[in-house]
Amino acid sequence: MNCEKCQELIHDLLDGSISRSDELTLNTHLRECLDCESVRQDLTSIVGFCRANRGEYEAPPNSQALWLRIRNVIESETIPVPSGARAPRKSFLADWMGRSWELSLPQLASLVAAIVLCVSLVTVVGVRRWGAPPPSMSQGSFSANSTPVTDRVFQRQQLISYWNQRVELNKARWSPEMRATFERNLQVIDQAVSQSLNELDRNPHDEISEQMLNESLNDKLALLKEFSDL
Amino acid sequence: MPQVSDCILRSPTLMKTRSLTWLPSNRAALASVAVLLSVVCLSSLVQAQQKMSKRYPAGKNVRIELKNISGTIVVESWNKDEIRLSATMESSNAHVVPRQIDESLVVDVMSDNRGRGDVGDINFRLQVPANSSVDLETRRGQISVLNLRGSSVRAHVSTEGDIELTNITASQVVAQNTIGNIFFDGEFSTGGTYEFKSTKGDITIRIPGNSAFRLVAASPAKRIALGDFWNNGFKTQDGRKYVGDVGDGRSSVSVTNFSGQITFLRK
Repeated sequence: MNCEKCQELIHDLLDGSISRSDELTLNTHLRECLDCESVRQDLTSIVGFCRANRGEYEAPPNSQALWLRIRNVIESETIPVPSGARAPRKSFLADWMGRSWELSLPQLASLVAAIVLCVSLVTVVGVRRWGAPPPSMSQGSFSANSTPVTDRVFQRQQLISYWNQRVELNKARWSPEMRATFERNLQVIDQAVSQSLNELDRNPHDEISEQMLNESLNDKLALLKEFSDL
Repeated sequence: MPQVSDCILRSPTLMKTRSLTWLPSNRAALASVAVLLSVVCLSSLVQAQQKMSKRYPAGKNVRIELKNISGTIVVESWNKDEIRLSATMESSNAHVVPRQIDESLVVDVMSDNRGRGDVGDINFRLQVPANSSVDLETRRGQISVLNLRGSSVRAHVSTEGDIELTNITASQVVAQNTIGNIFFDGEFSTGGTYEFKSTKGDITIRIPGNSAFRLVAASPAKRIALGDFWNNGFKTQDGRKYVGDVGDGRSSVSVTNFSGQITFLRK
């Protein structure tokens, strides 16, 4: 009798369903094989304990989870890594692809939230980068750059026109003195703009006139902005 | 037959003339009424004006931030460790709510009176420790700052109003208006920045003779007078713009005036 057959018969012996002849053969083997005798003793004591304490032990609160943990421990122990040789390392992609992607509900929700956040950020950055108006239109100051003066003046005039409309809406609320003051000062700035433009007509590369034009337009814009919420 | 003199006496025209004759008693009565009306008007005007005065404790680095709509602003130093704010409000509708945040005193007339319509002139007077920094704005009105040696002085008049900065020692000074004169009397600190800008008005800068600064002055009207501070190192573009160093150029000064005079004076 070999050990494998013996251990099968041990179960029958403990259950009381073993035949007489098998029992004799089994006992002969157990006397000669200390390993099988040890298994018999272990199983006898386990079965005896269970019979003695039937109904007294408490089942684990989550038997399914317990069995999963036990299975994981067993699986991890059944793949021993040789101490001398290093296990062949999987590539990140192979590891990632081969990974089991069983996600719990909170994990799934977090993943969806992260994806939504990333997509939103990319969209915002993209819109700002490629969809925003040129800096000369969006910023408050009028910096000189390579675009022609007329283009920059036109861009600035558009902004001025916008703020002018807002000012016109509020003008009725001002006192007559404030209205007169505003008009008088706007006229002074307009004169400065006009003089600079005339000078630039005569000498298109005149830096001082260009500087003055920029500053006058900025002043006008600032004045309109300040008075738009008055 | 009626006489000519009778006709004249009965004439309505003559009667009217007689009734309009200025008798001494009538004149006295009219004068009395005028005086009475004047008193009533004046008293109502005085009643409409509001005054407020508040004092605040001052820390080591006081900062005043005042945004007015219309009216004068006067800031001067005194020898007390506290801030005194006085305001005279033309309209009884006006509202001034100063807020003290850490070491800053903030007054924002625009925010305090939003939705109240026109609140007229509000004239401010502030007395502050000498080392205070001030940031003053008004849409219209004069700004005066006297005897300060804080880190910064900013005076901005959106439209018209003179700016007078007298006896100022600060490392950062900005004075800007559209119509009105700008006067600066003080010293340029080492490494400081100073900016003066007006569209229509004279800019006068009075500083010690040993001042050292790098100057960029522009005036399309070609009205730049550097006086004792001019030297051969200045570069000019047909008199409309001067760029150069005075001394070792330790501070930076920018003066822009579209149609007024730029004048440098030595103290």
